[in-house]
Amino acid sequence: MIRIENLHKRFGGLEVIRGIDLHVTPGEVVCIIGPSGSGKSTVLRCINRLEEITAGRIIVDGSDITDPKTNINQVRAEAGMVFQQFNLFPHMTVLQNVTLGPVKVRRMKRAAADTLGRELLAKVGLAEKTGSYPDQLSGGQKQRVAIARSLALQPKVMLFDEPTSALDPELVGEVLEVMKRLAAEGMTMVVVTHEMGFAREVADRVIFIDQGVIQEEGPPKAFFSNPRNPRLKDFLGRVVANL
Amino acid sequence: MGFKFQWGVVLETFPLLLSGVKLTIIITIGGLLFGFVLGVATGLMKLSRSLPVRSLAGAYVEAIRGTPLIVQVMFLYFGVPMAVGLRIRPMTAGIIAIAVNSGAYIAEIVRGAVQSIDPGQIEAGRSIGLTRAQTMRYIIWPQAFRRMIPPLGNQFIISLKDTSLLVVIGVAELTRVGQEIIAVNFRAFEVWLTVGIVYLMMTLTIARFLRMAEDRLAQRGKR
Ligand SMILES: Nc1ncnc2c1ncn2[C@@H]1O[C@H](COP(=O)(O)OP(=O)(O)O)[C@@H](O)[C@H]1O
Ligand SMILES: [Mg+2]
Repeated sequence: MIRIENLHKRFGGLEVIRGIDLHVTPGEVVCIIGPSGSGKSTVLRCINRLEEITAGRIIVDGSDITDPKTNINQVRAEAGMVFQQFNLFPHMTVLQNVTLGPVKVRRMKRAAADTLGRELLAKVGLAEKTGSYPDQLSGGQKQRVAIARSLALQPKVMLFDEPTSALDPELVGEVLEVMKRLAAEGMTMVVVTHEMGFAREVADRVIFIDQGVIQEEGPPKAFFSNPRNPRLKDFLGRVVANL
Repeated sequence: MGFKFQWGVVLETFPLLLSGVKLTIIITIGGLLFGFVLGVATGLMKLSRSLPVRSLAGAYVEAIRGTPLIVQVMFLYFGVPMAVGLRIRPMTAGIIAIAVNSGAYIAEIVRGAVQSIDPGQIEAGRSIGLTRAQTMRYIIWPQAFRRMIPPLGNQFIISLKDTSLLVVIGVAELTRVGQEIIAVNFRAFEVWLTVGIVYLMMTLTIARFLRMAEDRLAQRGKR
């Protein structure tokens, strides 16, 4: 579904991603963990080309997104992105946020898009909020709207960049719950997160990125109970200490 | 020979100024309508990815902001016709001058408002597959436009006052009419006072409408 080959990304003189290979199969849930500034967001942003890559190749659902002939807008619609800061459109109602993509990108009829939007909002537990504006919602509700907005394009892959990091602790659960359900339905997901419990429970594979490379990866059980890489041991030690 | 303030002159002057008020309003609104179009186009050009496009827009803005309006007006009315062999009417020149001048300032208002929108908004738009143009139209512009309203209102007031400079090319706007009245009655104190009051009434009215518009937007933003 996603194939990343030898990805490099440089910001000016700073090489942030220094050769990453990653293959995500359909239906797989991959969690990425790692210290702040290690390049996790950059990897996600390269996957839907919010960042131009410096070298390497990224293939999403069969399209080489680095090929100039690829219609990047179509590729982006296939890869939903959920941001730490939600980035809802504040001048639109919740329903308008969700239906903008279907109407403008998928050329869906307004009525059909509204029906789809209401279905998705019900699915994330916000059926009552279709007419609200984003600033009337809690953080957890905003993030669930953002998830519905991405799902409305019926993407093949969902990318999550620390979706719960900006939330008050008591609101984290409701968002993770929605993500768990998505995973159970077979959505292909790449999730950057600090929620080790989520990674342990939901991920098929966990990846530890540090200093722009994958330091260790594996199924969550082995990954957490028996980390080999010393930097990962150190990182897990610090994360657990902070809980 | 002591100065004696004559209320009668003030009262007589008011109705005589009306034709000037009318031209001042026409020039201001006409100039600003074209100025807005010019300003939006230039402001967006300043945000272009293409360096030549950005430079062209930048040169226009700098040239206008860096020179006095009165020089721009005289250049347009006396200078340009000499070069191209084409006379323009003072009124037309006045509207063009206000348009070209306000356009440069409005360009900066537009650029500033667009740039003040959180880049996360662009990323969210792009990530659901919208093109750059669609992201601008449906996401950035509506939010930026709200932020433009206060500075645009301010520019409205500035341009209205700027029209008084058109006195130098003989447009019969408010200031010019005042001058003509004084040429007849020699009551400079009363007439300029009255002219000033009329400008003030117009600018206060604009400011009032502006506050109402801002309140309405604030209310809608809160909803
Ligand atoms: N647009 C950018 N320009 C310059 N440096 C950047 C940019 N985006 C990210 N970086 C740098 O790249 C590194 C990795 O960033 P990021 O991928 O956001 O890390 P993470 O998500 O793992 O915390 C950091 O050192 C960050 O400062
Ligand atoms: Mg990050």
